[in-house]
Amino acid sequence: MLKIQNVSKVYRVGGQDFIALHNINLEIEDGAFMSFVGPSGSGKTTLLNLIGGLDSPTSGEVVFNGFHLNEMSRDQLAVLRRENIGFIFQSYNLLPVYSVYENILFPLLLNKQKESQVRDKVMALVEKVGLSAEANKKPAELSGGQCQRVAIARALVKDPLLVLADEPTANLDVENSHHILEMMRTLNQETQAAFIFSTHDEKVTRFVNREVALEDGYVKSDKVKQPNGELI
Amino acid sequence: MILDMAFKNLIRQGMRSLLNVLVTALIIIAIIFALSLLNGFQAQALRNMSTTDVAGGHYRVPGFDILTPTEWEDLTLPVPQALRHLPHSEKAEVLVQQGQLFPNRRLFPVQLRGINIDQSLLDLPLHTLKNGRMEIGETIPVVLGKQMAKKAHLTVGDTVVLKWRDKFGAVDALDVRVMDVAPMINPRIDEGVVWMRLDHLRQITQRAGEVTWVAVKRPVGPVAGFEFQTVENLMADLLTLLKHDRRNTRILWFFLIALAGISVFNTQILNVFKRQKEIGTLMALGMTSKKIIRLFSLEGILTALMAIVAAAVLGVPFFIWFQGVGFDISHLSETGFPVREKIFLDIKMAEVVYSTLVTVGIMVLMSWLPVRKVARLEPTQALRGRAIT
Ligand SMILES: Nc1ncnc2c1ncn2[C@@H]1O[C@H](COP(=O)(O)OP(=O)(O)OP(=O)(O)O)[C@@H](O)[C@H]1O
Ligand SMILES: [Mg+2]
Repeated sequence: MLKIQNVSKVYRVGGQDFIALHNINLEIEDGAFMSFVGPSGSGKTTLLNLIGGLDSPTSGEVVFNGFHLNEMSRDQLAVLRRENIGFIFQSYNLLPVYSVYENILFPLLLNKQKESQVRDKVMALVEKVGLSAEANKKPAELSGGQCQRVAIARALVKDPLLVLADEPTANLDVENSHHILEMMRTLNQETQAAFIFSTHDEKVTRFVNREVALEDGYVKSDKVKQPNGELI
Repeated sequence: MILDMAFKNLIRQGMRSLLNVLVTALIIIAIIFALSLLNGFQAQALRNMSTTDVAGGHYRVPGFDILTPTEWEDLTLPVPQALRHLPHSEKAEVLVQQGQLFPNRRLFPVQLRGINIDQSLLDLPLHTLKNGRMEIGETIPVVLGKQMAKKAHLTVGDTVVLKWRDKFGAVDALDVRVMDVAPMINPRIDEGVVWMRLDHLRQITQRAGEVTWVAVKRPVGPVAGFEFQTVENLMADLLTLLKHDRRNTRILWFFLIALAGISVFNTQILNVFKRQKEIGTLMALGMTSKKIIRLFSLEGILTALMAIVAAAVLGVPFFIWFQGVGFDISHLSETGFPVREKIFLDIKMAEVVYSTLVTVGIMVLMSWLPVRKVARLEPTQALRGRAIT
């Protein structure tokens, strides 16, 4: 589903080149449930942004579902994201003027669906993330955990092929993080959407099927969960 | 969907959008008010000029110029045949001569203006002269305008020496009695003017049957020996002044619109700056830059539309109230404008529509300009809130 080939990302900072990613090669299969781990500054966010077409690599290429992202225009990338990729952010990034229900509905409206035809679907998802009672509340009235559940529902409502989550649990306490990860894993199994999240949270390790460790822009290790539950 | 979002975003900004709506609405009202007041003022000035002096034009002795008093004596002629038969409601015979008043022994040069007392073409407060005697006795009855009376320190009942020269150059003098001090809405027939009966002025200057001009209701074609001065000619100086006023109003206009524009421009810059993360999120969700620009512009356009509604809601009652009380400009009586009463608005629909459209157009432009840069925004930078600093 996703091929990352010889991808490098160089930032120019104060006249000097700073290499955030060195020649990354990864292949990610459909329905994956994996994480990028590594210390701060290791390049996790940068890599996620490249995968999501929010940014373009300095060299190398990202191929998503047969689309060569380098060759696409900004608007084409926007359409690709709109239809196929869900985003979950560390700070939730919900639309403040919209209610829980409207926030989750929003990606469908962007995809030109009629509200009347998708209302049930959205409500079902609201229920699935346990926010039926909060459906009409605004983000400002919700707790962090509730916000992140809205964000997950928003990412999944359009049945994407891929969900990218940049440190989705960083702003949450242990219990909420646990909940969120549990929920993502369940949804991953139900929807077959691939999940890639970045984290430097060790607790996450036991949830994922694959863990790619980054350090200073290099892939340090790439472990896959074995039948006995260990990552090797 | 975008409309719904834009609307909700506006509501969320609460006070700021309300202020923008109010400022824009007030500016629309102010512009329409200024234009309409000027219209009203002009209409009244022109009307006053025409009802008190100009009428439908003057048949004048060729070469006569009200600004050259030394020539007045030479420029009189008998009423031409062609105008004699016109009824009193369609012509007013006027004779203009130089004179000198001596209030308190000071010399006060004046314009002696004799007008046929039976005329009803011009609207002049001269009824006290009409009932006076035909023959001149010990004093000549005259009427002064308020401004003139004030300058010459004269009041009703006063007598004062008047000197003049007759047709043959002989200087003569007699007392005049101020029969009335009347409000003249047109300063040109007030300051420096002594009004008397035409027959009296003719008699004392030995110019039986002569006039300087004949004001007519409408032109009656060429009249031998006389030249016709059109209304436009006679009001040329006033029209020039008014044109100047128009230009000043336009400058005001420009400033007001610039003000409204800046306030919306500023709000939009703040919007784009403060809402970078939101813009980044919208981009991540797959909204194209074009659509995001449209969304933000729409917020500005909605502001402008709400301003129109607000302008109507606030403006209509205000204008109705204003038309009830009018605007007292009697304090302007020192100026040369022939308006001394209350003035009212003369609201021209075309101007209302035009002003509103221009204001809204500028608002829309100002909403769009700062938002344009969203198109060049890097989604990752916007998400980090670092794209614009
Ligand atoms: N726009 C940019 N301009 C310059 N340097 C950047 C930019 N974005 C990221 N970097 C640099 O690239 C490196 C990788 O950044 P990145 O955000 O991918 O790290 P990360 O692994 O996500 O870190 P964290 O865990 O703190 O989120 C960092 O050293 C960062 O300073
Ligand atoms: Mg990061």
